[in-house]
Amino acid sequence: MTSKRRFAVVTDSTADLPDEWRARYGIEVVPLKVIFGDETFRDRVDMSDDEFFRRLAAATKLPTTSAPSPGEFAQAYRRLAENHDGCISIHLGAQLSATAEAARIGAESVEGFRVEVVDSQTVTMPIAFLCRVAAECETLEAATAAVEARVPKTRVLALLDTLRYLEMGGRLNRAQAMIGTMLDLKPLLLVADREIKPVERVRTRSRAISRMVDYFRGELPVEHVAVVHAQAPDEALKVAAGLRAELPGQEIAIGKIGCVLGTHTGPKALGVVYIKK
Amino acid sequence: MASRRPAGVDGPLFKQALLGSLNWLATNHEEVNRLNVFPVPDGDTGTNMLLTLQSAVEDIKESNAAEVSKIAKLASHGSLMGARGNSGVILSQIFRGFARAVEGKSSLAPRELAIAFEEAANAAYRAVNKPTEGTILTVAREAGRSAAAAAGEDDATVPSVIAAAAAGARAAVLKTPSQLQILRDAGVVDAGGFGLQIILEGMLKTVEEAESFHVDTTAARPKAAQIALDLPEGGWGYCTEFLIDGTNLDLDHIRSEIEALGNSVLVVGEPELVKVHVHTDDPTRVINLAGGFGKILKLNVGDMSTQHKRILDSESAAGRPPRPNGVGIVAVVAGRGLVEIFRGLGVDAIVEGGQTMNPSTQDMLTAVDGVPYDEVVLLPNNGNVILAASQIPSLTNKTVHVIETHSVPQGVAAVVAFRPERSGADNTATMKAEAARIQTIEVTHAVRDTRSNGLKVKKGDVIGLINDKLEFAGADYAEVVNKALGKLGPDAYELVTVYRGQGASDDEMANLESAIRSNFPGLEVEVQQGGQQHYPFILSVE
Repeated sequence: MTSKRRFAVVTDSTADLPDEWRARYGIEVVPLKVIFGDETFRDRVDMSDDEFFRRLAAATKLPTTSAPSPGEFAQAYRRLAENHDGCISIHLGAQLSATAEAARIGAESVEGFRVEVVDSQTVTMPIAFLCRVAAECETLEAATAAVEARVPKTRVLALLDTLRYLEMGGRLNRAQAMIGTMLDLKPLLLVADREIKPVERVRTRSRAISRMVDYFRGELPVEHVAVVHAQAPDEALKVAAGLRAELPGQEIAIGKIGCVLGTHTGPKALGVVYIKK
Repeated sequence: MASRRPAGVDGPLFKQALLGSLNWLATNHEEVNRLNVFPVPDGDTGTNMLLTLQSAVEDIKESNAAEVSKIAKLASHGSLMGARGNSGVILSQIFRGFARAVEGKSSLAPRELAIAFEEAANAAYRAVNKPTEGTILTVAREAGRSAAAAAGEDDATVPSVIAAAAAGARAAVLKTPSQLQILRDAGVVDAGGFGLQIILEGMLKTVEEAESFHVDTTAARPKAAQIALDLPEGGWGYCTEFLIDGTNLDLDHIRSEIEALGNSVLVVGEPELVKVHVHTDDPTRVINLAGGFGKILKLNVGDMSTQHKRILDSESAAGRPPRPNGVGIVAVVAGRGLVEIFRGLGVDAIVEGGQTMNPSTQDMLTAVDGVPYDEVVLLPNNGNVILAASQIPSLTNKTVHVIETHSVPQGVAAVVAFRPERSGADNTATMKAEAARIQTIEVTHAVRDTRSNGLKVKKGDVIGLINDKLEFAGADYAEVVNKALGKLGPDAYELVTVYRGQGASDDEMANLESAIRSNFPGLEVEVQQGGQQHYPFILSVE
């Protein structure tokens, strides 16, 4: 497949791209970074997600995250330029991170190599879906058109065990979201249209999970679906099994949330992600 | 003598009669308060009726209207605005029915008076969704029937009709325990019905006095003037509440001393522990005075003249972007922590009140009218506030959805479910459904010996109520909560939120929390500072 395709597909580590897809489609992944104190780790390269959540639980101070540098993107593009005509580079939503911007700047420094940078406007596996869509196209033009048409249709429905991490990372304004600071709420968040907004406020996890599935049913039909989680494999399997029973014939992948996204979601995050038809 | 008898009830006589009712209820409302079915520190029926009646006569004091219809209309309006608690709301409907029946009339003949009493009772029945016999409704109806029977007599007079109404009320009150199991169990008559009986008796006393002195003589005036002096003039001062802990406390003596310093005085309890409630301009003097009788506990002083202003939480509302659905939220809550929780969840205005101090219809109306939205969801959060809250939609131009939340946990569940992008009607449906899922456990101390729901309770016992129903009594909080959670069946639930009240110590809180965790390991436990009075713990089980 890769031999037939003359362009490369690039993404970043927040796509939570399953290893199997990465190998099958030959997708290039540029890692973001997680910084614990004065130690810097490349997401999913220097540190596994299991190890990350162990450290997160033990940390007295929360880690910070950072986008790849333009130089790191330039390096990746230069390497790919050796045996590709160009590439599509699909990244973490620009409303949340400087990653796509770094990719754009990095691309400018690589002459003679065409890079189509796409702001996915989203997080986690919908980016991986977009990468698959691109990889299955024959030309870069077709890939860019197919991916850009789907960007506005990406959705992440997520249930966080606590809003602490998201709030500390500055990605959520509780007052605007009408999420009080006193009660331990389990809001169901929706990432769509460059926004993170709570669609439900629920007080118990099991109800939050059933609300998430209810909400997802209202979104059908969809073309790609996955269940993603951070240290909640059993619940993810259960939700995926339920969805498979409801949607026979639909591939439903299970993805693990990596370190960078995990810094903002905290452990026990669970999500249903999809691209609307 | 016959010529001196009031031939009909005109404006001045009806005014006097109502002032007489107020005076008599003020004297007797503590007796009404003692009839609470549940041995919990509850919204006191006598106090609620007294405050409602005070509001009813507020405008009348200034009126010199000759027509009975004008006085009745003022009473109807005033009572509706000041209605507190279920009995207060029903009382306001009684006034409303009476006012309708006498519309356009300057004076009522005995027969017309009897018809007005009957119409008053009918209006009260219509106002209640599911009328229950053995309550103030039955008493109102029986009073009307007796009045009608008396009016049919050849020698019927205004006093004879009112006397018959009062006698009918008295007989009906005595029968209430045979109509309602909860009254039978508690060994009491219905408090609201008894309050109505007192109101009619107060009227009778006034009219009988008028009969001997003649309505138009100046002799009757000093009486009315004296009553007027008992009413708050201008400001309402401070609502001051506390307990006196002592020995051989003389309630009558304490009451008379405190009465000199304020109005709406409520002094109840036992020689060892007395509860005092007074509206005064000088709380310091009251407290100093009371301090001489014993140790002051649970002091709470609220500035009533600023009550309407503090209803509105404009500060936090201002910091928020306008809500896309244009729907505001108003909640009735008391307790600092609970107020913060409700505000944090997006409530635009808080009406202070709840268990012991039921807010008036006017308080809620002011709050609803004050929020910057034309559509408002109103959460009464207490069974005794629901009826008053349900009057609001008809009193404002705004669209008001009353979610009938019976408890704080139900209110929290409802407001958690509110979504700013959904319509008021959609939100109302979801909020109702979410509130209905919640089980509420309330833990407090019995304020007197009683039997309720087949349970024998001694004064001071820890008691546990599940969804407003007394279910368990015991020696300590953990024991009662264990029993209550056991009864609910913990397997069906995930999360227990404990709202800690003012009366709970750190040790009691820690004991309760560890007891729940060890006895019900499957339940998640979350502790919140509620700061509510009278209920050391309120638990939300979901």
